[in-house]
Amino acid sequence: MLLEKVRIPWAVAHLSKEYKVFGPVTRRSYVSFQEIPDGEGLNLEYTTTTLPPKKLFHHAETLLHYHKEDFSAPKLESDQHVLLFGVHPCDLNAIQRMDKFFSKDYIDSYYCRRRERSVIVALNCGVPDDKCFCASLGTGPDVKEGFDLLLTDLGEAYLVEVGTSKGKTMVAKLGLKNASQTHFHEKARRLREASKKFKKQIRMEGLAKQAAENPNHEAWALIGDRGGLAGCFACLSCGNCSMVCPTCYCYEVAEIPDVSLKEGIRKRELDSCQLLEYALVALGQNFRPDRRYRTRHWMTCKFGGAGGQQNTSCVGCGRCIRSCPSHIDLTEVARSLWGE
Amino acid sequence: MPRKAIIKKIEIETYDSKTYTFEFEDGGPKGLDFNPGQFVMLSILGYGEAAISIAHDPDDKSGLDLTIRNVGSVTDALSRMKVGDLVGIRGPYGNGWPIDDAVGKRILLISGGCGCGTITPIILAHRNDQSRFKFVEVLHGARTPNDIIYRKHYEEIWPKIPNCNVLLSSDTVPPGQTWKHKVGFVLSLLKDMKSTPEDTLAFMCGPEVMMKFTALDMLKMGFSEDQIYCSMERRMRCGLGLCGHCQLGSKYVCKDGPVFSYAELQELPDHIIRGS
Repeated sequence: MLLEKVRIPWAVAHLSKEYKVFGPVTRRSYVSFQEIPDGEGLNLEYTTTTLPPKKLFHHAETLLHYHKEDFSAPKLESDQHVLLFGVHPCDLNAIQRMDKFFSKDYIDSYYCRRRERSVIVALNCGVPDDKCFCASLGTGPDVKEGFDLLLTDLGEAYLVEVGTSKGKTMVAKLGLKNASQTHFHEKARRLREASKKFKKQIRMEGLAKQAAENPNHEAWALIGDRGGLAGCFACLSCGNCSMVCPTCYCYEVAEIPDVSLKEGIRKRELDSCQLLEYALVALGQNFRPDRRYRTRHWMTCKFGGAGGQQNTSCVGCGRCIRSCPSHIDLTEVARSLWGE
Repeated sequence: MPRKAIIKKIEIETYDSKTYTFEFEDGGPKGLDFNPGQFVMLSILGYGEAAISIAHDPDDKSGLDLTIRNVGSVTDALSRMKVGDLVGIRGPYGNGWPIDDAVGKRILLISGGCGCGTITPIILAHRNDQSRFKFVEVLHGARTPNDIIYRKHYEEIWPKIPNCNVLLSSDTVPPGQTWKHKVGFVLSLLKDMKSTPEDTLAFMCGPEVMMKFTALDMLKMGFSEDQIYCSMERRMRCGLGLCGHCQLGSKYVCKDGPVFSYAELQELPDHIIRGS
């Protein structure tokens, strides 16, 4: 099916009747997923957003309410179903990985409930920048699965493909024109063109093993303590990389008392393994006291070698590279570990 | 969600450690089914949760004993609580000691400081039924005699269990404290113990530096890397393998551990229990 670009705001407004629609919106010089009830300000030409879509599914959660002599589970919000409009392949892959992570051995009811109440309109990516490397990971620039609807920019219009029955219901109400074979050929041509635009790549197969077998590799000291790997400075332990990573899931739990100190909530919120306190235990022992251990852990996690295995590994969105104040580049760390 | 539990009894072990007996008060069973070596997440409202090893008789379902040293904000808040106060408990979590592999064998239990809590269920299981293990030897040490938790049990009660030997050590004996046992680190007890590598599994819990050097001496004595098990401590927030904090390389200490064999630990980063 085809959806003309001029009809996008109308389509979004139509979908807003049933869903709370979020899409990429330009804010100053950055793009961010924001609520767009009428499709106003939607930027489907975007390359990346500052925060990945995980901010809508796994950011902060109230785990319990406590009051002086008792505690209870929080009431579940009767929130509206969410529609994410214009999700790129890298982010969609990350969402699928996080879905597996939060339902593998233990069903995380908070995350899974939000995901069950969401639909995704994915967007094949034609605009990778010099920090993107999804093509070398097979996570882009084209989407293969995990969408309800999939859009591909064909110039004047988007090719619309249906992935699920929910997606079918959504388009049924939009009255779209049918696409022809020519449109599919144009889609393939544009994706071929997009895949030629990548500047960065990563050799991921066997990289987790390579990292685990080289715990004292010079790369860790360079990125963690001294700087100097491909021109980077030493890590500042700011945690940007984990905040912007679409597969970083770690969370901290804290009690938030109200002013009376008699009642409050227990809350979980995204955390970062790059922060000094992350591995700190009582009596002040820290199991990852040095930055080189913390950056080694994070990189290993993104190579698929930490606890989350493949479910928390890198999807090649390039956000960590863009947001690192020390210019640490995951693909350069990989090259160094491979001896390239 | 944690289950609601009430403090039923508080026993003072040392100047900074107490054993609390809890009973669940949510209409369900008063105690907990658990494997020795597992832990629970203990909630103190307004302060948070902490991972605490279960120090209870595994054959007794009437309550739950946790031996807790006052070291952080949660345990400090608990130390000010009294009988009848409400806490929250989730669990049990983790794998626990490989008890099934130890049935019919000899067990060597080594603990330092408050690492004895997670060892206790095995001693109590052996007290209840001596047909499970051929022999149980307990090596326990602390910094000073006044830091020895369960002192009366170690000195008077547990040595009377058939096929059980108890050895104690204190790193130092400050003036004014009395001590009739070994002076030195826990590993100095290895010379005095009856256990040999033959047909034995060793379970160890204590500071990593203690486990590191004790294990190295044991390897020299002929124990293999598969005979030595260590219980690891890490920051934990969930106990379910979701919050990420307790990761040791590719493993979660809360889910895949806290008990790891020495051989397994050699493959994992971010700890010191290895030769170099």
